[in-house]
Amino acid sequence: MTAVAERPYGRAGGGPRRGPLSGSGLTLLLPALVPVLLFSVGPLVYGILLAFTDARSGRNTETSFVGLANFVELLSDGDFWESFRIGMVWGLSVTVLQFLASLGLALLLNQDLRLRGVARVLAVVPWAMPPVVVGLMWRLVYHPDAGLLNGLFGSDVDWLHDFSLALPAVIVVGVWTGMPQTTVVLLAGLQNVPRELYEAVSVDGAGAWRRFWNVTLPQLRPVIVAITSLDFVWNINQFSLVYVLTQGGPGGRTRLPMLFAYEEAFRYGFFGYAATLGVAITIVVLAVLGLYLWRQAQEGN
Amino acid sequence: MKRLGAALAVAAVALTAAACGSGGGDGGDGGGASGEPVKLRFLSLAWQKESIEANKQIVADWNTANPNIQVEYVQGSWDNVNDQLVTSFEAGDPPDVIHDDSPALSSFASRGFLLDLTGKVPADLQNDIPQAAWDTVTFSDGKSGQGVYGVPFLQESQVLIANKKLLDDTGVRMPTPDSPWTWDEFADVSKKLTKKGAYGVAWPMKSPVNKVLNLALNFGGTFFDTKDGKTTVKVGPQEREVLQRIHDQLYADKSADPAALGMGTADPLPGFFAGKYAIVPAGVYLRQQVAEQAPGGFEWVTLPPLKGQTSQQGAVSQTLSVAADSKHPDEALKFIAYFLNGPNQAKLAKGDWLLPTSTSAAKDPALTTEENGWDVATASAKDLVVAPFLKVNGFDEWKSKVATPAMQEYFADKISLDELATRLVEEGNKVLERYSR
Repeated sequence: MTAVAERPYGRAGGGPRRGPLSGSGLTLLLPALVPVLLFSVGPLVYGILLAFTDARSGRNTETSFVGLANFVELLSDGDFWESFRIGMVWGLSVTVLQFLASLGLALLLNQDLRLRGVARVLAVVPWAMPPVVVGLMWRLVYHPDAGLLNGLFGSDVDWLHDFSLALPAVIVVGVWTGMPQTTVVLLAGLQNVPRELYEAVSVDGAGAWRRFWNVTLPQLRPVIVAITSLDFVWNINQFSLVYVLTQGGPGGRTRLPMLFAYEEAFRYGFFGYAATLGVAITIVVLAVLGLYLWRQAQEGN
Repeated sequence: MKRLGAALAVAAVALTAAACGSGGGDGGDGGGASGEPVKLRFLSLAWQKESIEANKQIVADWNTANPNIQVEYVQGSWDNVNDQLVTSFEAGDPPDVIHDDSPALSSFASRGFLLDLTGKVPADLQNDIPQAAWDTVTFSDGKSGQGVYGVPFLQESQVLIANKKLLDDTGVRMPTPDSPWTWDEFADVSKKLTKKGAYGVAWPMKSPVNKVLNLALNFGGTFFDTKDGKTTVKVGPQEREVLQRIHDQLYADKSADPAALGMGTADPLPGFFAGKYAIVPAGVYLRQQVAEQAPGGFEWVTLPPLKGQTSQQGAVSQTLSVAADSKHPDEALKFIAYFLNGPNQAKLAKGDWLLPTSTSAAKDPALTTEENGWDVATASAKDLVVAPFLKVNGFDEWKSKVATPAMQEYFADKISLDELATRLVEEGNKVLERYSR
């Protein structure tokens, strides 16, 4: 804190403290500021404002300010809560499974294996694929007649259209898609664990499990917290993958909150309500994330 | 939030681009007058191979004959056409000529996205299409008036496709368009056809709503009631008839295979060819796949629609509309009038195995031949009336959020008919209320 406060006085010239946006400073900032304001802040503010209106699709519609009416409607909207529940199940299970699978993979890739370089490259391949391509590919895997999965098991299951199987099936794809970046980040974390620590516990006679539990995990902790939080935000906002796989079906069983908002806006034309959904989901995600990070910080201390 | 923001930003960019594009593309104002051909974009949803060929052929013929009005064929897909249209309408850059179906037109019309064609359709075309078909495209304009928002051209009726040998073996009466089976007779026949390992009928009910609502008219079931401009859902004795009868076949008579419920319309075909299902109720277009995929020597027939109190069925039409934002609406209408003239409608109907609205096209010998059941299919067009749900604003949301899951659960025997009725009405009215505000 003090270091930050002292900095202006340490400058050459030592004149009176100048505001951050005066004169030439502002001019220099403009080229960077304009695109940010135009393409990021602008639409964001517009979206938030929309949430408080009854904006609808149409050439002859009048939009008026409705205050918190949309939020009140949201609270009693059973479809929203169902979609929210599905979103949470999806977000949490994909994040947790992704983390566990990636941790295993990262530990494996951290070993002195033959062809380690090749294996590492292969692990990153799904990262290079756009979600739409991943969705199309897995749709073929799940295809009831021509699919790889039914071919392999000799089963006759319509994975993506079965009421109880659709969500788990989509979750598997979600885990698969998100594994590369989680693995890479964890692998980087693993390589930063000082070797001396392992040597020290080995001297104390610790086995592989103890080494993992008492050295690797605590050392990885900051990385784990960071990547799981990021993964959670990313997963709960997932859209394209599920849109391609199921379009939210069957009967809304995979209708994630973002798909719900999309339907409200682009299928039924309620732009205002859809914006409210967006704002509400952002608030909830921030709240969940805040709680998680706060608890992690507490335990860390 | 971010996504909507991003979408809006994209829309804004698209708007700017469209504005720039039209400024530069015209090569100065009044480009049309200076000999530059008018350019129209035609969004087509044809998907069967023969149908795409027919569409492209007609467009090519038009372009050759009309150097001043050039039409660009744009391929769309039924899967996402309405999402695509919302974005292009909102961005102010829609295709000039739009292929869609009548259920989608109602909401676009009330939002002012489509051109009212009242009084603009050339007399030849106007008179070639019966009023019943025009009714399927007449909607409220979102204020106080009514308008015609498309030209209806292909219609679908529900028929029965049956295994001829199994029917003959059982010795049941063959129905004809003049004397079709009643629902009672159909139930009896299905029971007779049900033997060990084989069912009389397969009801593919992956998308049950339109099927049930269209058939419900057999008993006068409309499902919607409009009083003083306010529409509510109703499920009375008339609406329950068809629901109950199908349910009975599944669970009381056991003449329908419950395993077929999750199937889409074409999915029972392998079972049908294998003799597992004797009858498959389907739209007339399914005949194409049956004709193409049936194993050699397999004999099948198209049976006329069932009769309740009447044989009436709700009709849904495929349509061509003109965007309200089109810069060349007159040229677009001229193209539509050519595209949908009698001979062309006959080609399109053959390509899609559907029924033309054009009365002159319906007389085409290829559409009245006994081969592949065309005679029965074409005859069923006389019982098509406008489906009541077409006029209901918010039907799409009612269908996907309330009716589809509720009917699926009912047919899976998870809820009773009373529970189904309560859900359709109570949850349904809540949905419809959003649209009457």
